[in-house]
Amino acid sequence: MVPVLAVDSEYLFGLIGKFLARDDAGPRHDYGHLDADPRAGILEPWRFPWVDAVFDPDDATQPDNAVTFVHAAADRQPGHVVHLVGSFADLHTPIPLLPLVDTHYATVTLRIRKGEVHHYRLRIDGVWQVDPINPQRMLLDNGVEWSRFFTWGATRRLVLERWESRLLQRLCSHILPFHTADGETFFKRVHDAQGPANRAPHAYRLDESAGAVNFIDKLLAREEAHHLIDYQICLELIDRLLRLRNPVIEPWKLPREVFAELYREMATASVAGWNYGRYGNPRYFLQLLRRHTLTGVFSHPRYGGNAMTLGWKYLEERYRDASGATLFDWGRAIEAPLGRNSAYRG
Amino acid sequence: MERFDVVIIGSGAGGAPIAARLARAGHSVLVLEKGPLLRTQEEHPLGVSDFKRDELFATGAEKRLTLSGVANRFDSFYGSHVEPDLNDEPHIYEGADGLDRATIEGYTAQVVGGGTQLYGAVSLRFSELDLRLGSFNAGRNDIVGDPNGDVRREARDWPIDYATLEPYYCEAERLIGINGTRTNQGKPFSADHYQTPYAPNPISAYVATGMDALGLPRYRTPLAVITEDHAPSGRIVPAAAEAAKTGYVNRYGDPLGLKSNTWVALLRPLSGMANFTLRANCVVTHLEMAGDRIGKVVYRDVAGRPVEVAGKLVVVACSAIESVRLLLLSGERDPAFTARLNGNGLLGRYFLTHCFGGAEAIMPGRFDKSVSLDSDWATDACASEDFIRSQGLWAGGAIYNNTSDQALPISLARTHGSQDMDTIWQTFADDTALTGDALNAFFDANFGTRLSVSFMANQVPLFDNRIELHPSISDKWGRRVAYIRKTWHSHDVHLMNVFAEQCRRILAFGGDGGKGQFPVSEFGAIYMAANARARIANHILGGMRFGSDAADSVLDPNCRAWQFDNLYVTDGAFMPTSGGANPTLTIQANALRVADQLLARL
Ligand SMILES: Cc1cc2nc3c(=O)[nH]c(=O)nc-3n(C[C@H](O)[C@H](O)[C@H](O)COP(=O)(O)OP(=O)(O)OC[C@H]3O[C@@H](n4cnc5c(N)ncnc54)[C@H](O)[C@@H]3O)c2cc1C
Repeated sequence: MVPVLAVDSEYLFGLIGKFLARDDAGPRHDYGHLDADPRAGILEPWRFPWVDAVFDPDDATQPDNAVTFVHAAADRQPGHVVHLVGSFADLHTPIPLLPLVDTHYATVTLRIRKGEVHHYRLRIDGVWQVDPINPQRMLLDNGVEWSRFFTWGATRRLVLERWESRLLQRLCSHILPFHTADGETFFKRVHDAQGPANRAPHAYRLDESAGAVNFIDKLLAREEAHHLIDYQICLELIDRLLRLRNPVIEPWKLPREVFAELYREMATASVAGWNYGRYGNPRYFLQLLRRHTLTGVFSHPRYGGNAMTLGWKYLEERYRDASGATLFDWGRAIEAPLGRNSAYRG
Repeated sequence: MERFDVVIIGSGAGGAPIAARLARAGHSVLVLEKGPLLRTQEEHPLGVSDFKRDELFATGAEKRLTLSGVANRFDSFYGSHVEPDLNDEPHIYEGADGLDRATIEGYTAQVVGGGTQLYGAVSLRFSELDLRLGSFNAGRNDIVGDPNGDVRREARDWPIDYATLEPYYCEAERLIGINGTRTNQGKPFSADHYQTPYAPNPISAYVATGMDALGLPRYRTPLAVITEDHAPSGRIVPAAAEAAKTGYVNRYGDPLGLKSNTWVALLRPLSGMANFTLRANCVVTHLEMAGDRIGKVVYRDVAGRPVEVAGKLVVVACSAIESVRLLLLSGERDPAFTARLNGNGLLGRYFLTHCFGGAEAIMPGRFDKSVSLDSDWATDACASEDFIRSQGLWAGGAIYNNTSDQALPISLARTHGSQDMDTIWQTFADDTALTGDALNAFFDANFGTRLSVSFMANQVPLFDNRIELHPSISDKWGRRVAYIRKTWHSHDVHLMNVFAEQCRRILAFGGDGGKGQFPVSEFGAIYMAANARARIANHILGGMRFGSDAADSVLDPNCRAWQFDNLYVTDGAFMPTSGGANPTLTIQANALRVADQLLARL
């Protein structure tokens, strides 16, 4: 049984007012990716279900998130009966969403492990269906569409294909400083510092992007889903172009210089062999990628990047005073177990 | 309809002090707040705070403007979790090119506590002179950059003097919880309620050196962050030393509640009282009048349903732009309302922010700026009459250093070459040369090395600087949005140049041990920015100035609308001049003063 967490109405109201309450249901939030979908009338619909921290006094690893599912009755009448089933629990025992005071909202908050990806459906007025708010959806093998969400630090690939993420990793690492001589020394040291048992998963050891690609995958699955199309088109164009330039080697295995050259060309917006009919400005994609990569590598690891806090550790190690004390003591402010602040819980 | 002694709209600096005073005196108080109640971890059912030390909370994912009719349609913008969304509730400003653009400028934060949840907490008093700039400038003919005598014509004295406000400054400092030092401040103090400041960040020593070399008396910047247990609000400082010093300060809510926002300092302590009601997530859509009184306050509850309440007294404190807007919208529904409130056509006029800007340089050495509060040192040297006259200025201002800016890696990158929310990320994304070793070099040069010194000074009040309702753009409730129309006066430009030079000199003298030759490449002021007309420095003032002449002001000396018996406005809108310092402490002190007047009426 997945535990239900007790939260108060003040907390739930805070998840709702700004985002869902409104008179104008017009597509104010359609950045070109939602078409006529009613979710374009909701502010930041990707926030639902709402994934939050929950403090566990008995487990220092803080293994769980609090996930709040919200249903807003379309007719704004209270009293609709809504149930939930999902991969986080037994699919045969629907979990009720309870009315939120006297409003037309119904909610339930569940304790779910961090690092997981789940699918779920709602039974609204007796009919099983996807969550009408959450834009994340996935097709199961049997062809049925479910709603999807993921908890903090999830690493399963969601929207990028395997080849896309490999190619992307090469582009990200070109932007980041970790492939430089300094970066390599750092990576080696962090890696060697882990005892064999604690050694980072293989993927991270080789991933010079320190999780940036995973961050981007999650960002494109959720907050910036409107940019998925940029990645899909541009990675396809890049893949094709690199295959033309180097017919024998898989693009993601090409030497560094090839990516450096490609990057330089994209920066000037003039890339030999680029299909401008399909994507007008390769420099625009590069700018997007720069912002995403940098954010991914230095943001809180809950977003899926900054793997093992490598981004922060890199700066921590790089900047030290004469006595060897770090000049970026990020761990001082950050919650355990990532950091060592004794008061702040994350 | 529910009835209360007082209905207060907005729970920030202007609203909360009144709520606290009146509720403690036993009156029934309703606070209506548009934003959510975001709590510290100790109050929260999940044991964690709604605020996080997380750079993506201050500036989140990219969104895109979809509003039609604005020149920046389809542009990117980046919100925080407590600012309104630009597509749902924008502010529109008129650019220098005559085109309208949506902006996040002019919003502080929409949450219980308002802007005080996110603020840098710099809590300076205004100077004694700031409150009498009308008489100070009368008859002067040495004011630079004022060919038409606008300054002399438009400068106003406040209807109260510093001595009247002073006890309320003391009371605000005690109730809110502020650390700082009094010695060397240019303002008279009758009592010292400051808590002891933490040690400054070592990088601020350059500022101390520079100020000393230039003979500018300095003091520790008063910051609304408790460093010791605070009895008036019942807050306890955790055992972890200097727990609040993290770099997650300006634009971040404090998960531990050590920053003295109006929720933890003033409202939360009322939580158990039966006569105090706080309704978060409730947006007031308009007021309705009954004779010379506000008869109804109409709001939407969290589910969007309209609700009506009544108060013997009604206090509007939505932060100046939104308060003006609320009253203009109320007037649109009822011409008699407009006639009563805006007979002299001054509603929304004389909108103000501050003249602001400063200097910034890469200093010798590197420091851990992530161990910091927002500011360490301040000086009032440029608020003295001597200084003001010697520079041909009409008024003075405060200078202080910023310690926490660009302290964290993402903020360093996203503010690279840009200082405001409307242009954030642009330069970094654009600077495609920054990869690999060049990115290392960028961090080597900038991380923990940059130091900035800012000024906040009086802006010339101008009739044409105003808040209106936008003719065509409405928010998600179908309410027309605020339209910001303002420019900088030629004297503002002179004043900003003078102050920017002072800031430059502090770094130039600080950087080389007092010789004054240290290179400071970046200095200037806000009038130079491409979107200078939009920029408001988060200081949203004027638009409903108070005064002692009903023909020349919107509010009377007690911040009551002249022709309404029970309507008060206590956010920054009441200010006839913007003061030579960050405004929040003054808004709070004035709100306590008004609260005493209201107590006498109830
Ligand atoms: C990042 C940042 C840093 C800052 N740093 C400083 C600083 O260091 N020092 C300083 O002095 N000042 C600082 N400020 C400015 C400070 O926040 C404001 O001066 C102060 O909060 C203004 O008080 P107010 O009462 O006018 O408005 P606010 O405190 O903003 O309160 C207004 C409240 O009204 C609510 N509201 C608006 N419309 C409605 C409605 N229709 N119905 C119901 N509720 C409504 C809003 O949600 C808000 O909570 C900073 C601001 C920001 C954003």
